[in-house]
Amino acid sequence: MNAAAFAMDPTRSGYVPSKRRGDEQPVRSQLDMARGRLFAVMILFLLGFMVMIGRTVELGMRENARPRSFAGQIEVPPVKVGRADIRDRNGEIMATNLRTSSLFADATQIRDASAASHDLVKILPQLSLADVESKLASGKKFVWLHRKLTPRQKWQVNALGNPAFRFEEEEERVYPHGRLASHIMGYVDVDGRGLGGVEHFFEDRLSDPDRHKDALKLSIDMRVQYALADELETARRVHSAIGAAGLVFDVTTGEVVALVSLPDYDPNDIRGVSADQLFNRVTQGVYELGSTFKTFTFASALDQGIVSLDDGYDATKPLVVGRFRIRDDHPKSRYLTVPEIFAFSSNIGTAQMALDVGTDGQRDFLEKLGMLRPSTVELTEVGAPMYPAPQQWKKISTMTISYGHGIAVSPLQLAVGTAAIVNGGRLIPATLVADSDGYQNATRVISEKTSHTMNMLLRMVVKKGTAGRADAVGYRVGGKTGTAEKPANGRYNRKALISSFMGVFPMDDPRYVVFALLDEPKGTKETYGFASGGWTAAPVVRNVVLRTAPLLGVAPEGEDEGLYQQVAMKINDKKGH
Amino acid sequence: MRRAFNIVAAVIALTSGAAVLQLKLTVQAKQDELNVLARQIHDDRDALRVLEAEWAYLTSPASLQERSVRFLALMPPSADQIITDPRIIPFRPKGEFAEADPGVMLERKRLPKRPAGDGQPHGEETSGLDVISDTVAGGGR
Repeated sequence: MNAAAFAMDPTRSGYVPSKRRGDEQPVRSQLDMARGRLFAVMILFLLGFMVMIGRTVELGMRENARPRSFAGQIEVPPVKVGRADIRDRNGEIMATNLRTSSLFADATQIRDASAASHDLVKILPQLSLADVESKLASGKKFVWLHRKLTPRQKWQVNALGNPAFRFEEEEERVYPHGRLASHIMGYVDVDGRGLGGVEHFFEDRLSDPDRHKDALKLSIDMRVQYALADELETARRVHSAIGAAGLVFDVTTGEVVALVSLPDYDPNDIRGVSADQLFNRVTQGVYELGSTFKTFTFASALDQGIVSLDDGYDATKPLVVGRFRIRDDHPKSRYLTVPEIFAFSSNIGTAQMALDVGTDGQRDFLEKLGMLRPSTVELTEVGAPMYPAPQQWKKISTMTISYGHGIAVSPLQLAVGTAAIVNGGRLIPATLVADSDGYQNATRVISEKTSHTMNMLLRMVVKKGTAGRADAVGYRVGGKTGTAEKPANGRYNRKALISSFMGVFPMDDPRYVVFALLDEPKGTKETYGFASGGWTAAPVVRNVVLRTAPLLGVAPEGEDEGLYQQVAMKINDKKGH
Repeated sequence: MRRAFNIVAAVIALTSGAAVLQLKLTVQAKQDELNVLARQIHDDRDALRVLEAEWAYLTSPASLQERSVRFLALMPPSADQIITDPRIIPFRPKGEFAEADPGVMLERKRLPKRPAGDGQPHGEETSGLDVISDTVAGGGR
């Protein structure tokens, strides 16, 4: 009651209106009403707290309940990179961006420059002691010491405990495979912009911030790439060639599985790399590739029904056309059947066949095969083919082009063309990207029947002709050798050769084209001084096939001899003339 | 009675307030823990990139070949070592038994020459290298 009295005392409570009215009754009922309201509010609050308690207890008791997943609510800060990765067809990393640290020093904080530089050079032996010491003694506030330290080196420098050494975080493009596949990858500049290869071609896609997370997947298989590079490097050394090139090409999808150009470079460090090293001999270099071109002459003649396997040409003596003389590298000096002309690589026979096809027929066919326009592969370094202008494409041009002289194309174009000949006659553009659907808009260049005949002829070159050294036992390799003389000062130099071999396997159901080219190989004792394609490039293809066929899923099998009987009977490969 | 009610209400309000505060602090601690974990996941992913690159570097075909040549007695398979049909695996020739395979190239005396026609056409070639996989290869053919 005390409290109530206290509240009712108007002098104390300052409840002015009640005093004015001087009426006890309304004040009381008002007070009651206020108290009642207060009570109601309290009940409400109490209820609120009860609910809160109830809910808290309920939450606390629900430990056994199924834990709710917060996966969607956890926000993991994304790993930010400046450029998307590049991977091979099996997901192997070919190029990635890593954070590295670059070391700089605040020389004003150095107390003992000589001791500090000694410590530092111990960790970074590539630095010169005198250089570091002069930098540290310079008293400048900021001197670069070394860029791109490995995490281990950074840790060691930190362990020195010298406050003058500081780091700046940078991002670096790293190519873990180094030189391997350098011409495919290309390289980037200091700011990470692509300057060559796919790095340049896909610059927009690789540097697109929205697509940094998904890697660019190439059609390259690093294992096959290595096998090809290893074999080519060996052959280049053995034959002291100035360069080499090779590729493995999937004839059914148009995917480039391996692409090697030697000499190559390390994309991780492009300082001091020569133009010759940067030059991509497979896509950029155009060469007169020699007899490998006969494949196209034969395909067009057979497809148009101009010759059949039963025909033949006289190859007893060199052809003389104007001031030119067409001779054979492997002269048989007799009448040769069509399969023999192909197997023994007779220029004389092929030139006569080309005349029967005609200049227009030849040009149309090469046009159809994509020999007269640059390849559409996803590289910037693509060379344009060289060939005579229409008015200069005369009879003699037709004859020389039939065996691969007087026209210069890139090895990639040749591989794409050959693939179209062996895969049933569909021309599929080359691609470096995995799972691309370019093969769906293939164009037909020859009939399936002609393609089948060509496969038999190609296999015969290996079984009985000039490319015996390409025969990888069990893998039914076929192909065509090519030995071209390099033009120098307006004439051909018989000593400087472009020796190549265009191999296909397995011949009963072609899957891959394997091409090898050696630039100016020299003969060795093992090759009896020969430097032609059959002696130098064919063994490379054989070794590559032996090493990679199991990786590419081609099983070795016994061969169905009956398949080639029709052609084999027409080739007389007895020694002596 | 009202007084009692007041006291009870105050106590309830205080305890429930304290309990909720406690709950809030716990949740905050959990949230901190979560943030630390998220940060850790991020750092791990970052480290993963480095490790992946290192893995690619260390397992590049060139270094694998170099190590294989140095430490293993493995040779590239020849076509006749690959069978496509598992039903035609040949039996081990009689009198042959597999020794324990040490798995590495060891210096060892040349194996005694086997009688001809024991189903090991390349016996001479492989034993020229003194490889331990001699018997393994013999069993496989």
